[in-house]
Amino acid sequence: MVRFKHRYLLCEVVSDDPRCRLSLEDRVLGGLVRDTIARVHGTFGAAACSIGFAVRYLNVYTGIVLLRCRKEFYRLVWSALPFITYLENRGHHYPCFLNTLHVGGTIRTCQKFLIQYNRRQLLILLQNCTDEGEREAIQKSVTRSCLLEESSAGEELSDSGGEEAAEAME
Amino acid sequence: MPAPAAAYERIVYRNPSEHHYMKVRLEFQDHGIGLNAAQFKQLLISALKDLFGEVDAALPLDILTYEEKTLSAILRICSSGLVKLWSSLTLLGSYKGKKCAFRVIQVSPFLLALSGNSRELVLN
Repeated sequence: MVRFKHRYLLCEVVSDDPRCRLSLEDRVLGGLVRDTIARVHGTFGAAACSIGFAVRYLNVYTGIVLLRCRKEFYRLVWSALPFITYLENRGHHYPCFLNTLHVGGTIRTCQKFLIQYNRRQLLILLQNCTDEGEREAIQKSVTRSCLLEESSAGEELSDSGGEEAAEAME
Repeated sequence: MPAPAAAYERIVYRNPSEHHYMKVRLEFQDHGIGLNAAQFKQLLISALKDLFGEVDAALPLDILTYEEKTLSAILRICSSGLVKLWSSLTLLGSYKGKKCAFRVIQVSPFLLALSGNSRELVLN
């Protein structure tokens, strides 16, 4: 079959400052990645990566970003991500870095990985949690995600369980 | 008595040389512009940086000889970077606002081959 194949890079924005994730916007992040590729890989890299480039998914609460690029040039994009050191939005400057969690060929495989990753993160949050109210909220999310794991439908709701836990932490 | 079996070792070289050597000459549209060796190297690195970015501007590139009068040089680059260097030399158009062009005279994986050129051979 003749079609354009893509690679989806699932990344997490990690920063000391909690306001950094809240100021994420897809256009700002897309422009930042494009500028970094132009700096690191030159005119050739900028042109090669910008054809099929898009920010497909952005979660402000957990800082998860899904980037799409063409299959032939995904290594150029992937190698330029460690050179991103800050996020600049509306005059605010936040130091941060992008941690790549998974590279998938389709959005569906990235979503499956993200669901498993969020489940594992919930358990880690439960261990590190200090406040009693937060502990109950996270335990509720964990049991709900386990119930959802047994039932085959409704897998995407555990994503929102991760969001609620992250909100409760902040 | 049969002779004892000789032990031998077979070594196969897939890639003859890990460096490629290029003989190039820089031509300006106007005459009377000179560059010293450091400025020449800066020009090469800025050409690589323009087209291929900071990662490839750091390729191990050496200028083995440089003549300031004729602006010709022999460059050495690792074999994986030859295509990138050659294409960035091709696309270099100007130096400090003055138009210039690189003429690639000879390319070889062996330095000895650059000492003679069959095109300049004179048969008597």
